[in-house]
Amino acid sequence: MRLRFALLLLVLSPVMGQRPLDYDRSVVSQVRIDLRELGYPPVDVIPTEESAVRALAVGPDGALYGVTSGKRSHLFVLHPAHGYVQPLGYLKGVSTVYNSLAVSRKGEVYVGSGDKDGHLFRYSPPANEDEQPIRVDAPVNVTDLGAPVAGEGTYALAISRGSDTIYGVTYPGGQFFSYSVAAGKFHLSGKVAENPAPGENFEQEKSIGRAIIVGDNGSAYTSGENGALFRAAGTSFQKLPVSLPGVPGREPFQRVDAWTAGPCGTLYGGTSDGYLFRFDPERLTIENLGKPLNQYRIRGLAFSRNGKLYGAGGDDDEMARLFSYDPARGAYELLGMIDVNRRPFYTWQAYVIGAMAIGLDDIIYLGQAERRSKLYLYYPGPPNRAQAHCAK
Amino acid sequence: MSPYFISLSNPLRFLCVLCASAVVVAAGPVKLDHRLFPGLHHADGNWAALLAATDGKVYVGLAVHGGDGHLVYYDSKADRVHDAGNLTALCGESHLRRGPQSKVHAKFGEGKDGRIYFGTHGGWWFNYARFATKEGYPGAHWMAFDPRTGRVEDFGLGAPNEGINTGAYDPLFNRIYGLTHPRAHFVYYDVSTRKAVDKGRINNWESVCRTLAIDDEGNVYGSFDRGRIFKYDPRTDSIHELSVQVPIREKGISLGRDYNKSETAFRTMVWDAKTRQFFGVDESATILFSFNPRTGGDGEVRRLGQLAIPELADKREAPYATLSLTLGRDRKLYYGAAGREFDYSGSAGLATSHLITYDLNTGKTEDLGEMLLADGSRVLGTNAADTGPDGTIYLVGAIEVRPQPGKPVEAAGKIGDAYYRLALLIYRPR
Repeated sequence: MRLRFALLLLVLSPVMGQRPLDYDRSVVSQVRIDLRELGYPPVDVIPTEESAVRALAVGPDGALYGVTSGKRSHLFVLHPAHGYVQPLGYLKGVSTVYNSLAVSRKGEVYVGSGDKDGHLFRYSPPANEDEQPIRVDAPVNVTDLGAPVAGEGTYALAISRGSDTIYGVTYPGGQFFSYSVAAGKFHLSGKVAENPAPGENFEQEKSIGRAIIVGDNGSAYTSGENGALFRAAGTSFQKLPVSLPGVPGREPFQRVDAWTAGPCGTLYGGTSDGYLFRFDPERLTIENLGKPLNQYRIRGLAFSRNGKLYGAGGDDDEMARLFSYDPARGAYELLGMIDVNRRPFYTWQAYVIGAMAIGLDDIIYLGQAERRSKLYLYYPGPPNRAQAHCAK
Repeated sequence: MSPYFISLSNPLRFLCVLCASAVVVAAGPVKLDHRLFPGLHHADGNWAALLAATDGKVYVGLAVHGGDGHLVYYDSKADRVHDAGNLTALCGESHLRRGPQSKVHAKFGEGKDGRIYFGTHGGWWFNYARFATKEGYPGAHWMAFDPRTGRVEDFGLGAPNEGINTGAYDPLFNRIYGLTHPRAHFVYYDVSTRKAVDKGRINNWESVCRTLAIDDEGNVYGSFDRGRIFKYDPRTDSIHELSVQVPIREKGISLGRDYNKSETAFRTMVWDAKTRQFFGVDESATILFSFNPRTGGDGEVRRLGQLAIPELADKREAPYATLSLTLGRDRKLYYGAAGREFDYSGSAGLATSHLITYDLNTGKTEDLGEMLLADGSRVLGTNAADTGPDGTIYLVGAIEVRPQPGKPVEAAGKIGDAYYRLALLIYRPR
C-alpha cells in the first residue's frame, strides 16, 4: 500500500502539469541545450502561426539562415557573433517552404517556395546585414528567379557550391530539376516518382524524397518511388540500383527525410520510417545502421567535429527526440526530448523538429515546426578519442 | 519586471494592502453537507469536472490514475448518487490494453438539447516515455451524456495520443473546446457538423492554462506566456493574442515552488452574465481579477484582491490556486482555498481548506473559515466548484477518512498522515 502511494506520488506530478526533477532524465541534458526566440519578443518576433521552421542552412561565413512557414514565410538569420535571431522580412506571397533553403559559396541565399506555382528566390545579404533593423511586417528584398515547374512547389533543395548549381525536387509531382546560377536557367531532369504510393483512398501522395544532398563528387542525391535513390550531376539524371533500408514490404512508403555528409565522402541519411543509413556514392552501397528511436522520421542530421553524428527523430504527432551515432563504435546514444528549462526565465519543449544544421563553430541548430516555434541550440561534446572515422 | 509584482516601490502594493484590509476573517468553521461516491472510494482526484445542471443533477468526473475514471452524477431531487459508467468502457477501449481513460479533467457543459458534453483525459504519462507508442494513452474522446436515456454518446477519438487537459462547452455554437496535454494544442469538436479541429499549439506543456472561459457571444479565452490572454473567435475560426495580462506574482521570488509549477496563467475564470465580464484567479497567489472582454480593443483586466486564506496570502508558501471558484446566486464568488499546497496525494502536507467569498456588490472578501463535515471531518482540499439552480454551492474535493477499528479503510490514498477519499460537498448559503 505504501509503495503504491509512493509510486502514485512519483507519477502524479507530471499528470498535474508539473515538472519534477525526475522529468529532466527524459530530456536532453540541460547544460547542452538552449533556445532562441525568432526575433525580439514580445513584439518584434516572427508571429505565432508564421513561425514553423522547416529549412535551415549555414553560409560559408557561418551565418545561419532559416525560413518559416504558416500564414506567411519569413526569412531570418543568426550571426554567431551576436547569437540572436534577426528576422529579415517575409517572402511576399509565400506561405510554405519545405526543406528548400541553400546558400551559395558567395553567400547568396536561395529559397524555394513550397506553394503551388512556387518560385525560386534569391536573397543577397548586404555587407552590413547584421546592422539592419528587425523586419517582421515588411517584405524581404529578393530576386524572383521563376518557377521550376508550373503548378508545383519545391519540396527539397540543395546547392553544389563548386558548380553553383542548385538541385531541387517538386511537390506533388516529384520533378527533379537543376538551376544554373551562372546561366540563370532551370533544367528539368526527370521524375523521382511516377505513381502515388499504394494506400487508402485518401492517400494519393507520391514518395518523394524530403531532402537532397550534394556529395563531394558534386552529384546530388535523393529518393523516390519505392525508396529508390536517384542521382543528378549537371543535366544528367538517373535512378540508382540501390534503395532505402527498411522493413521488407514497406519500400513504397520510404523516403529520405534528411542527409548529412560524413568524413571521406560518405553520406549519411535518415528515412521516414526512422532508420539511419550510410551511403557510399562511389560503390553505390547502402548500410542500414538501424533505428535509433522507436519513432518514425529522422527530421535532421548533422556531423559534429567530435566525430559523432547527431539526429532528431519523431513524427508530427509524436514528441521529438535527439540521438547521436558514433561511427567509430557503431553505437547510438539516446539524448532525450528536446526541452529547454531556464526557469524562472523561460522554458519550452519542441514536439516537432522541422530542420537541423550545424554551424562552423560546431553548434547544432534545430528548427521547430509548430504553431509557435523557436530555434534550439545544441552543444555537442568535445572531440573524443575517435576522430572523424572513415567507415567505408 | 511584471507590473503586478508586489514591491515597496510599487503603488499597486497599496491597492493590495487595501484589498487585504477589506478581508473579514471568520472565527468559526463552516459546516458542509456531503455525499460520497459509493463503490468509488479508490477514485483519487477531481479537477474542474463538476457541473450543476439545470435539472438539478450534479455531474462529477472522478479520476483513477492507472485505471478507469468514472462519470457520476448526484440527483439532488432524489438525493441519490449514480455511476454513469467507466470511461474506458464508454469509449469502447476496455480491451485495448493501452493507457486507460482515467479522467474527465475539464469542465462539463450543458447543451440546449439537455445533454452534458465533455472530453476525456489520460492518467499516467510516464514522463512521456509511452507517448504515441502502442501501449500509450490512445487519446481523448469527445462525448455527451444524455440524462433522458442515461446513455453516453461517444463522438470518437478527438485528440490522438493526448488528453483533454482543459475544456469547456459552448451551447451557442454547440462545440466542445479543449487544450490538450501534453502538447498544449487548442482543439474543438463541433457537435452539429461532427467535425474535430486542431488549431495547433498554444503554450508549453507544464503551463497549459487550466480553464477555457467562454463569453455570451461564444468567444473562448485562455492564457499563455506570462499571463497573457488569447481569444478564439468562432466566427472567424481564428486565435488572437490579446495585449492584456492577468496579474501574476513573479516567479522565482517568493513561492518556493518555482521549479515544479507553472505560475503564469489564470487558474480559473467564471462568467458573470449580469455585468458581462469574467472573474478569475491567477495560479500563483490566487489574485482575484476581473476581465471585461468588451472594454477597449483587447479588453480590460482589473485586480480586485486575493482569495487565498488571509494568513497565507502574502506568504512565501501561499498555496497554488485551486480550481474551486463559482459565482453564487447571491452575487458572491465562492472559492475553496487550500490550507497548504493541495493536489490530492501530491499535496505538500495536511491542512484544512477554507471557504472564501467575495461579494461583487460590496467588494468585501470574507473568510468563512475551515470547511468541516457534520461529524467534524476535515475537507483537505477541493478543485472544482459550481452553483446549482437553487443557489446551492457544490464543490468536489478530498475529505478526511478516519479509520474505524475492525473495518477496512475505504480511501484513495493519503494526504500527509491522513487518509482521504473524494466527496461532493454541499454548501447552502443563507
